[in-house]
Amino acid sequence: MSEKFGKIADGLLHGKIDEVAALTQELLDEGVDPDEVLQKGLFAGMDVVGKKFKNCEMFIPEVLRSAKAMHAAMDKLRPVLSEEGGSRAGTVVMATVQGDLHDIGKNLAGMMMEGAGFNIIDMGIDRKTEDIVDMVKEKKPQILGLSALLTTTMPKMGEVINALKEAGIRDQVKVIVGGAPVTDDFAREIGADAYAPNASIGTEKALELIKA
Amino acid sequence: MANDKTNCIVNRSPRFSFLSEDQKQTIFHGMLKVLQDTGANVHHEQARDIFKKHGCKVDGVRVYIPPNLVRQALQSVPLMTTIFDWEGNPRIYIEENRSYFGPGPTLVYFRDPWTLERRKCLRKDATTVARVCDALPNIGFVEGLVTISDVPRGTDDVFEFADMIQNTTTPIMAWSYHRGGARDLHRIGCIMAGGEEAFKKKPNYILYSEPISPLVSDFHAIDKLMYCAEHGIPQDYSPCAIGGGTVPATHAGQLVVALSESMVGVVLSQLINPGTCIILGGVQSILDMRRGIYSYGAPELNVLSGGLTEMARYCGLPMFGTAGCTDTKVMEIQSGIEATLQIHTSMLTGANFVHDCGYTESGKTGDIFQTVMDDEIISMARIIEEGIEVTEETLAVDVINSVGSGGHYLYEDHTMKWFRKHWRPTLMDRQSYEDWDKSGRKTMQDRIMEKTRDILENHEGPISRVPEEVKKDIQKVIDGAVERVEKEGL
Repeated sequence: MSEKFGKIADGLLHGKIDEVAALTQELLDEGVDPDEVLQKGLFAGMDVVGKKFKNCEMFIPEVLRSAKAMHAAMDKLRPVLSEEGGSRAGTVVMATVQGDLHDIGKNLAGMMMEGAGFNIIDMGIDRKTEDIVDMVKEKKPQILGLSALLTTTMPKMGEVINALKEAGIRDQVKVIVGGAPVTDDFAREIGADAYAPNASIGTEKALELIKA
Repeated sequence: MANDKTNCIVNRSPRFSFLSEDQKQTIFHGMLKVLQDTGANVHHEQARDIFKKHGCKVDGVRVYIPPNLVRQALQSVPLMTTIFDWEGNPRIYIEENRSYFGPGPTLVYFRDPWTLERRKCLRKDATTVARVCDALPNIGFVEGLVTISDVPRGTDDVFEFADMIQNTTTPIMAWSYHRGGARDLHRIGCIMAGGEEAFKKKPNYILYSEPISPLVSDFHAIDKLMYCAEHGIPQDYSPCAIGGGTVPATHAGQLVVALSESMVGVVLSQLINPGTCIILGGVQSILDMRRGIYSYGAPELNVLSGGLTEMARYCGLPMFGTAGCTDTKVMEIQSGIEATLQIHTSMLTGANFVHDCGYTESGKTGDIFQTVMDDEIISMARIIEEGIEVTEETLAVDVINSVGSGGHYLYEDHTMKWFRKHWRPTLMDRQSYEDWDKSGRKTMQDRIMEKTRDILENHEGPISRVPEEVKKDIQKVIDGAVERVEKEGL
C-alpha cells in the first residue's frame, strides 16, 4: 500500500498525469480510504513539489504539470471524498477585471495555487464586477484573486471590493490583487487583503490568508 | 557620414545574422499559415468589418487573414519615412540600416535620481527623462519610462507627452490609453509642428500600441491603430511575446507568433490607408521558469530580437527592438553586462528603433542612470558598427613610408586628421591610478550619477524656445483631456 502512495507522490513529482490518475483509481478500487490517498499520496507529493520549486530545483512548467496530475487524481477522488477532505486549502475564484484581456499572470497564479491544494474557479478575462460578486456569493470561496494589466482597468479591482462590501460579503472572502502595474500601495488603497507581485508569492499569500 | 548608419555595405559595417534566406522564408510561411488557419481575435467590430470587406473570413471576434492580403499590405508599406523634431529638422530616417536607441514606456516605479529611492512615478519624472535624453547624443528617440501617478488617472498619457515634447527636440515614441488620448497627443504634435498640414509634411512623433500575445488585438489597441492610420501618424504595433508563456518556448515558434500578432495591425493599417508608416517588433524574450518573470536580461532576448529584426527586414518593415534593459533592480554591474550585449546585438542586426534603455527590475522600474550608461554603450557599439574603412587615404602607405622604421606618428598631418575619429569616453575611466586616486576613486556608478545630475542641473533643453501661445494651446489640450476623462471615464 505505502509503496503505491510513494508511486503517486513520485508520479506527481515527475508530472505523470495518466499514471497518477490510474494509481489513484487502483487504490480506490482496492478499497483504500480516499482521505488517506489524498493525504499520504497526493499532498505528500505536492509538498515535495512545493519545496523543490522554492529551492529552485523545479521549474514552473514542471510544477504546472504536477498540478495537472494532481487535478487528474482529484477528478477520481472528489466524488468519494469526505466533505472536509475535498480541498486542503480552500477555494479560489479568479478573474481578470472588466476591460482587460490579459491573463498569462492570472493563469500562472491559478495553476500554482491549484498545485498548493486550492480548488480553482477561473472566471477568465474581461469579467464584469457584478458577475464576480455573483460568483463569490454562489461559490463562497475563501480567496478571490483579481488581475489587471492596464492602468486603466486597475480601478475595477477597487470597484469589485466595494461591490463586495455593498453586497455585505466583504468579510467572507480574502481578496488578493495582482498584475504588472499593481503595487502594494495600490492594494492597500483599494482595501485588498494582499498584493501578489508574482504567482508564487500569490500562492504563499493565499496560504497565509486562509490560516489567518 | 551620418553617425546613425548601421549594417550598411558602403559603410563596410560588420553584418550579423541569425537566419538564412531559407529559414526566413520558412518562418514567413509559418506566419502566413497561422494567420490563415488560426487567425487572430480582433475585439473591434469596425475593424472586423474592414477585414471582412477585403476577403477575410470572420467568425465571432476571430479574423482569418489570407496570404494574398498580407502580401498586398507588404507591397503598400512605405519604403522610408522621416521623423522630424518640432523645429522642423529631420531627426529619424525610418529605413533599412539605421538604428536609433531610446527609453521605453509606462513603468510602474521610477528611481529618484536624487534620493535613489524606488517610488511611484511623478509628473516631474517625465520631464527628467526628456531633459536627460535631450542631452544624450546617442539617444535617438524618447519614451517616458513612467506611468505618472500624480495627475488625474487616465490623463497621464497626455500630461506625459505634453511635458516631454516641450523639454526635448528628440522625437518621441508616444503612447495613449485610448483614441481620446491619441487624439489629444495628435493635437499637441500638430500644435508643436505649427498646424495639421505642417505635421503631415513633418511628423514629429510616433504612436505605439500593443497587441496582446497570443494573437489578440483588444479594442483600444486596434482603435488607436485605426486612428493613426486614418490620420497618417507613424505608428508601431508590437507585442510583448513571452517565450514559453504566451508563445512557444522555441525561438522559431516565437518569431512566427510575434510576427503574426504585428501583421494583423500591419494589414489593417494598409487597408485603411495604404502607404501609412507602421513598425513591428516589440519585446521578445522568455518567461523565467524559476522566478516567473518576463526576463529583460536573458541572452535569448538578443537572439529573438535579432531574429525578428531579420524577419522585419524580410517583410520590408521597420523593426522596434529592445536593448539597454535589465532584470536587476538598479543600474549596476549586471545591468551593464546585459545592456551591452543587447545594444551590441541590436546594432549589428540593424533594428530601427531600439527601446527600453533605462528599464530595470524586469520592466517594472525606470532608472535614468541606466539610460545614461546605455548612451555610452551605444556610442561604443557604433564604433564597432562603423567597421574598418579601407581607402588609399586610410591605408596611409605614403605616411608609413615617410615615417619609416622607428620614429612615431604623433607629428603627422594624417594623425591630426584621423585620431579625432577615435572614440572618446565620457564615462569610462582611463585615468592613471594616481589620477583616479586623487580624483576620489570614483566608480562607474559614481560617474554616471554625477553626469546625470549635472545634466539635470545645467542642461537647458528647448523649453525656453517654445512660444508662449504654443504653451497655452497645449495647456488647453491638457485641460480638455482632464474634462474628457471626468466625463467619459477611463
